[in-house]
Amino acid sequence: MNDASARRLPESAPGRVYVWELPVRVTHWAIFLSVVVLCVTGTYIGRPFSAGGATTDRFVMGIMKVVHFYAAIVFDVALAARIGWMFFGNRYACWDQFIPLTRERWRGFVKTTKFYCFLRHSFPETIGLNPMLGLLFVGIFALELLMAATGFALYSVLAPIGSPMRVFRFLVPILGGLQDARWTHHVGMWLLITLVLAHIIAVVVISVAQRSDMIGSIFSGYKLIVDRQDGERDNG
Amino acid sequence: MTHIVVDPVTRIEGHLRIEAEVDGGQVREAWSSSTMFRGIEIILKGRDPRDAWAFTQRICGVCTTVHAIASIRAVENAIGAQPPPNARLLRNLIIGAQCVHDHVIHFYHLHALDWVDIVSALSADPAKTASLAQSISDWPLSSRAYFTEVRDRLKGFVATGRLGPFANAYWGHPAYRLPPEANLMAVGHYLQALDFQRQFIRLHAVLGGKNPHLQSFLVGGMATPVDPDSQNSINAGTLAELSKLVADARDFVARVYIPDLLAIASFYKDWASTGSGVGSYLAYGEYPEGDGAQPALFLPRGIIRQRDLSKVEPMNQEKISEYVKHSWYNYASGDDHGLHPFKGETVPNYIGPKPPYERLYLDRKYSWLKSPRYDGEPMEVGPLARMLVAYASGHPRVKPLVDKALATLGVGPQALFSTLGRMAARAIETQVVAEKMQDWVDEMGENMARRDYRICDNSKWEPSTWPAECWGAGFHEAPRGALGHWVHIKDGTIINYQCVVPSTWNAGPRDAAAKRGPYEQALIGTPVAKEDQPLEILRTVHSFDPCMACGVHVLDNRRRELVYVRLV
Amino acid sequence: MTEQGWLERELKAHGVSRREFVKFCATMAAILALPQTVAENLAEAIEKADKPTLIWLEFQDCAGNTESFLRASRPTVAEIILEKVSLDYHETVMAAAGHQAEAALSKTVKDYAGKYIAMVEGSIPTGADGAYCTIGGKSALQIAREVCGAAAATVAVGTCAAFGGIPAARPNPTGAVAVGDAVPGIKNLINLSACPANAENITALLVYYLTMKQWPPLDQYRRPLFAYGKLIHDNCERRAYFDAGQYVEAWGDEAHRHGRCLYKLGCKGPVTFQNCPVIQWNQGTNWPIGCGHPCLGCAEPNFWDRMTPFYRHLEGVPGFGLGSNVDRVGIGLAAGVAGAFAIHGVARVVSARRAARADGEKPEGESQ
Repeated sequence: MNDASARRLPESAPGRVYVWELPVRVTHWAIFLSVVVLCVTGTYIGRPFSAGGATTDRFVMGIMKVVHFYAAIVFDVALAARIGWMFFGNRYACWDQFIPLTRERWRGFVKTTKFYCFLRHSFPETIGLNPMLGLLFVGIFALELLMAATGFALYSVLAPIGSPMRVFRFLVPILGGLQDARWTHHVGMWLLITLVLAHIIAVVVISVAQRSDMIGSIFSGYKLIVDRQDGERDNG
Repeated sequence: MTHIVVDPVTRIEGHLRIEAEVDGGQVREAWSSSTMFRGIEIILKGRDPRDAWAFTQRICGVCTTVHAIASIRAVENAIGAQPPPNARLLRNLIIGAQCVHDHVIHFYHLHALDWVDIVSALSADPAKTASLAQSISDWPLSSRAYFTEVRDRLKGFVATGRLGPFANAYWGHPAYRLPPEANLMAVGHYLQALDFQRQFIRLHAVLGGKNPHLQSFLVGGMATPVDPDSQNSINAGTLAELSKLVADARDFVARVYIPDLLAIASFYKDWASTGSGVGSYLAYGEYPEGDGAQPALFLPRGIIRQRDLSKVEPMNQEKISEYVKHSWYNYASGDDHGLHPFKGETVPNYIGPKPPYERLYLDRKYSWLKSPRYDGEPMEVGPLARMLVAYASGHPRVKPLVDKALATLGVGPQALFSTLGRMAARAIETQVVAEKMQDWVDEMGENMARRDYRICDNSKWEPSTWPAECWGAGFHEAPRGALGHWVHIKDGTIINYQCVVPSTWNAGPRDAAAKRGPYEQALIGTPVAKEDQPLEILRTVHSFDPCMACGVHVLDNRRRELVYVRLV
Repeated sequence: MTEQGWLERELKAHGVSRREFVKFCATMAAILALPQTVAENLAEAIEKADKPTLIWLEFQDCAGNTESFLRASRPTVAEIILEKVSLDYHETVMAAAGHQAEAALSKTVKDYAGKYIAMVEGSIPTGADGAYCTIGGKSALQIAREVCGAAAATVAVGTCAAFGGIPAARPNPTGAVAVGDAVPGIKNLINLSACPANAENITALLVYYLTMKQWPPLDQYRRPLFAYGKLIHDNCERRAYFDAGQYVEAWGDEAHRHGRCLYKLGCKGPVTFQNCPVIQWNQGTNWPIGCGHPCLGCAEPNFWDRMTPFYRHLEGVPGFGLGSNVDRVGIGLAAGVAGAFAIHGVARVVSARRAARADGEKPEGESQ
């Protein structure tokens, strides 16, 4: 892991910390934007409205599907890259940020939970993802993988002859048939939207509560660590 | 006293089993048992009522429209949907086609072989056959050359050792009485009927997409669009095609089926006093002629009790109940009382012998069929019941046709209550319906001319438009008799579903009061000349047209009986 | 069993001309996706083929598949291929007149062990010791084990035999299972699903076997690719309307009358593998979508549970009712959770600041 620099954080004094590396930011926004496109086109595909006019002039569903498939390529590549980066990126990008396995993370998790349950007033400082948000991301990643799997299964039967995507037909019986895969894909979308909304709101709340530039950091990569004393105080 | 088990094997398949005690050349006691259960009523619970027709349709692939029709009517009755005139006409045409198709197949391919000795036809003289055929009908395919060809083909079959569709063990049985020429004529018509049915059933594909299991039914209407200006709808071209199919059917029935029936019947007049059965008849009536909740019916509804043709009692569905005293089911309130279908329960309780078995426990439960009763009485249903109710009601077309048939055979109305009566009623009904079908085609044309393209009551399509809780009953005359579905819907899903089917009425076991079902009753007194070849039992059982996928198959579905008999 | 020229004799006996037979072969070639030029070769190959022995079993069925077969186009030829050939078995039964039918069946199974083809219609109940379906006193399971176990190949005709079908639909009161599940390890199991199976596909399968001397390649549900290799959707005559985005909204509306796409009324063509649009039904007369009704998806496993409610694009969400709208539930969920997060977040921030103010009376700008 090349997170040596991250481990050498200044013990005191507020400062800018390079938290979100470029691949993290790029994949974050690629996933986000592709999901937006996928949700819009996917909703149409599941519940289309009828287009008027001459049939020969119209290709609404066709276009929606093509856009959906291209957006899906972006989504799948970005998702794969982000998951890969969990093993090559800095400590904030690491897979262990998502599940509170280390003692430090577990303590942070308990503190954050207390904060959210009104049992603690100050927000426990974390530089990367706070442990609860990390858990939220476990849900988001799991749903994204589910969407990819159901999407691959659904596309595998449409893929042209010779397309490597046809190998994903093996997923169809595992997912309980095409119609069940459809249902899961559709319901998965709503669960993903739900968790993404939760993520956005949580980030806004944290930004305000923590006075950190959490929102800005996902653009710039840097986070301003305002008050490191907070960490010492929380035993009291 | 000999105990006979007739377990019909249709290529290793049989869902009806008759056990009978024979003494002194007559059946003294009989039991009818169904040996297959699928539980479709249970499977329907908790489902969308709009899907129910597809489920119930799979009760039977032979009478493939009837359970779908009864189901959509039951749901429509519950939710208050009102199918528009086009839907009524499309349904009438589909029901009528099923009736004509079924009856022709039944007569030629299921039942005729009980009366016609194929092997004897080999020794017929084609010239004499031709003159016989020409004497009873002006049907064109009655030449000497034609019957020579039929005889030669038949000889070909027999020479290769393959009796083909005529494989049946009873040839040469003393109960066969037709002269060789009549047998050969029937064989020729057997083959023609095979071709006729294939062509005629295309009507179902035109209106229903496919057959078996037509797929154009909807709660509230039909899915086949009507528009004279579209190639994707029923248009003038479709009407012409329907007219052609209907005209062919009318022709075949009037010039082949009816003359054949009368010719064969004249040799078997003693069967006009055999196989009488329970003597009470139930018909729900069919072919609505108008729209609304209580439309006039082309074939009337009613009850006839104890062979009394002077009175037709109105039918009250509340008097219908089903018993399970001798059926492999349990009622929560005990098995001694019947339950109305709205309160009906389908809880299997098999207490019969463990397979493989030789004998059923006839004194206990012995069938998968329930025993339906009307006002506590067993009722016979089917073409005979329909024709009797129509005859007694003075139906303008049925009455003269029945009188004419009776006069031709030189028998009185009492002859109708018999094995032969069932066959005659079936043929007369086929003619009446085949004649009527053109009216419905014409009426569709009139609707089109009025630009009435409605096919479905869309106002009741969404479950949100239905009452929170509702009950409905749907009645239909299947080719084999009165069929009723009862449905209880709550919050847009099925809470309870019960089907009381023709085969249950006719083939059901004894009830709590030990009253026999119509089959069991009709078999009492049937002569049996050879105990190991109970041809006569088949004649009577077949006269009911027992297609019993609803629980039972008495017949091979490939239209050939391979009944094996065991003497126990 | 080998009997050269048997078919020729049969054809003659049935008055079928050679021309008619070659025409039949051309239809078969089309179904099997072979070039039309092979029709003549196909005819020759069929004529020269060894005569197979077939056994057709019916269990928990409605006889729909048998009926379907009766409606086969060019039925005389199809009948010869299937019926007459299978009749061999029945003749054995008849030859054994006076014997019990089971004994005759056992004899055929023994004499032709490993050589005959078992065609099965209907599912097999496992509940109540098999009493839900008995034939001649024997349970369906006993017969299936005996007959399918020793067959060269078993063809499950129709969805009931192939996948359990309607008897196996929730809650499966009789414990019905597919043939493949009832008798595990069957040799050369081929599923010809659909409710009922299209007669043309039954015939095509046998023609395939007779001419190519092998069984066709199968998909993951053991269905032949020649009939189940493509989605209904991909061959649908209404596909152009789907891509254009023009749909039937209500029964009998203008779009419906002009044959537009039935997708919004719950058509399952996009998730169903079958060749209905190509071969159609009843001598090519029509097919369900052709008569304005959506596809029910009857060739897919467990379609009675998976494809229902038939008139909805998707099944509802469990706990929200049968007809619940997935999107409405989804919007509710997303809005609910987002609202809860937002309210909680605001409350959290406000309460933290209040606490901070009470705690140290620090200026608001500094965080606690």
